[in-house]
Amino acid sequence: MTAGRLIFDLAAAAAIVFSGLMVVGRNPVRSVLSLVVAFFALAVCFVLLLAPFIAALQVIVYAGAILVLFLFVLMLLNVGREVPDKNVRPIQRVLGSAAVLVFAGLLLGMFRHSGSHVPAAADPVDPAMLGDPAALARLLYSDYLLHFEAVSVLLLAALVGAFVLARREHAS
Amino acid sequence: MTLLAWAIVILRVALPVLILPLFVVPLTWLERRGAALIQDRPGPNRVGPFGLIQPIADMIKMFFKEAITPTSADRFLYLLAPAIAVFAALSTFAVVPYGSTIKISGLEVPMLGADLSIGILYIFAITSLSVYAIVLAGWASNSKFSLMGGIRSSAQIISYELAMTTAAAGVILASSSFRLSDVIAMQQGTWLGIIPRWNVIPQFFGFLVFFISAFAETNRLPFDLPEAEAELVAGYHTEYSAMRFGAFQMAEYVNVMVVSAIMATLYFGGWSLPGFHPRGVLGALASLLIFMAKSFFFVCVFIWVRWTLPRFRYDQLMKIGWKALLPLALANLLWIAALEMWRMRA
Amino acid sequence: MIGAIPLSDVLLVSGALFSIGIAGALLRRNAIQIFLSIELMMNAANLALIGYGAALGTREGQIVVFFVIAIAAAEAAVGLAIFVALFRHTETIDVNESNLLKW
Repeated sequence: MTAGRLIFDLAAAAAIVFSGLMVVGRNPVRSVLSLVVAFFALAVCFVLLLAPFIAALQVIVYAGAILVLFLFVLMLLNVGREVPDKNVRPIQRVLGSAAVLVFAGLLLGMFRHSGSHVPAAADPVDPAMLGDPAALARLLYSDYLLHFEAVSVLLLAALVGAFVLARREHAS
Repeated sequence: MTLLAWAIVILRVALPVLILPLFVVPLTWLERRGAALIQDRPGPNRVGPFGLIQPIADMIKMFFKEAITPTSADRFLYLLAPAIAVFAALSTFAVVPYGSTIKISGLEVPMLGADLSIGILYIFAITSLSVYAIVLAGWASNSKFSLMGGIRSSAQIISYELAMTTAAAGVILASSSFRLSDVIAMQQGTWLGIIPRWNVIPQFFGFLVFFISAFAETNRLPFDLPEAEAELVAGYHTEYSAMRFGAFQMAEYVNVMVVSAIMATLYFGGWSLPGFHPRGVLGALASLLIFMAKSFFFVCVFIWVRWTLPRFRYDQLMKIGWKALLPLALANLLWIAALEMWRMRA
Repeated sequence: MIGAIPLSDVLLVSGALFSIGIAGALLRRNAIQIFLSIELMMNAANLALIGYGAALGTREGQIVVFFVIAIAAAEAAVGLAIFVALFRHTETIDVNESNLLKW
């Protein structure tokens, strides 16, 4: 059990625990904060899986921007307090739990056979350089240039869309 | 790993964390005397010679104050916010090189916490996390002033984070690497024999953007409307007293020091000087002193600006961040990209 | 110092996170928590992609995750804008209340 394995196990456990807290929490603000911790733990897992650049992006974009946006919306609309549970329909709970159990069972069944014969890549990269940002950038701007440009257009569209949707309707 | 290697790792990690808060104490003295100098008054001069013991007296006072918690505050988040602020402020310093390498019994030890391959990106990641301290402080205090201050401050920080990151992208482009040691390495040597190859010269506007954004990121005047005494009581730390307020103040001063260090590293060559090749322990100490001198200069500029300029109104602040600094930073990025292409034309 | 993480461990964690996300999306009626569960599911997928990338020794995993994070950001922005617009009309974040095709 090397130090890397130990840290991965701890971080993964933390991610699972805090995600569970997020799902069962009653207070939306606390749910968002539990998810922040879970995402931070996931970033630690990414570092151990030789992807430090993605880990930094995860913290900057996911934990540091998207979830802050969630918090802002919650606070500005003042829905941060406990949400009471009126008109719960039991059939929703039953069907939902059944669906989750079936799906979890499927995943577990699949995972028992995964990892047994994973083919190595055509030209495997030296592990130390796997997460090298310069190499990733070279890939992004050569093989994946179209994807890159498409995502920029998507972000522009999302920007305009969010602005238009959240605007207050003016009578004039 | 040998015991010595473990000791070195622990020292590299623990040293900045322990030393930085110690530097906050003389910094408060410097702030108050500097303010007094600019405002043409004596400043604290009763407690010890030149008021040098004043910060100790302030610390003792803060320790003994009563810590009042508002009854309807969300207690856990209320106590968590200053902790996050201090944690983020101290963690940012982990990747900043404060000296060249030291040889300890055959091992070349670089003088920084961790030479990450994603150095600059790590700094921005931790800065993004520091937004949470303010948002939580504003929210958990359950008071209108705090909430307004918290929302304003976090909106200000994330807006200026954009301009700051784009300005730093110019530096990253020039050094072809995120590592801060590479950034310093690219700033060695001189042009025409006398002008040092510091990034501030080709990227002057990028430096300007970074410099102004640094004020906004650390909530210092002229961007301190979120904690302005006259407008919002005390903004997001209205409901905090005693050591919890002390924690926020310490986080702010540590942030000032760290951001000054980052500016010195990114734009002014960090611990290096043109023609200076550090050798042995003396060389390493000299590089440490050079680094501290450059950071100290920027800290003084922070203090100087605070007591010279008036505060920006909130809409002016947002306007500057989005409509002036961000386009300027993008223009700087284009300019640096053009320079790089010209440099690689061979 | 860093040992290789076996792929099965990574997939187990990813599967657990994904199941928790599905549970949250199906069992909660709070619009914000449903949205958070969806983000959690996307992160579980990211973890699986990175795990495979590390196991196969290729950078494709990281590139895909890069794009997934960018798209998730765009989707979160638009989703929250929709949420804000919805909330302004219905004054509640219970999704069961929005059960008519008009308001």
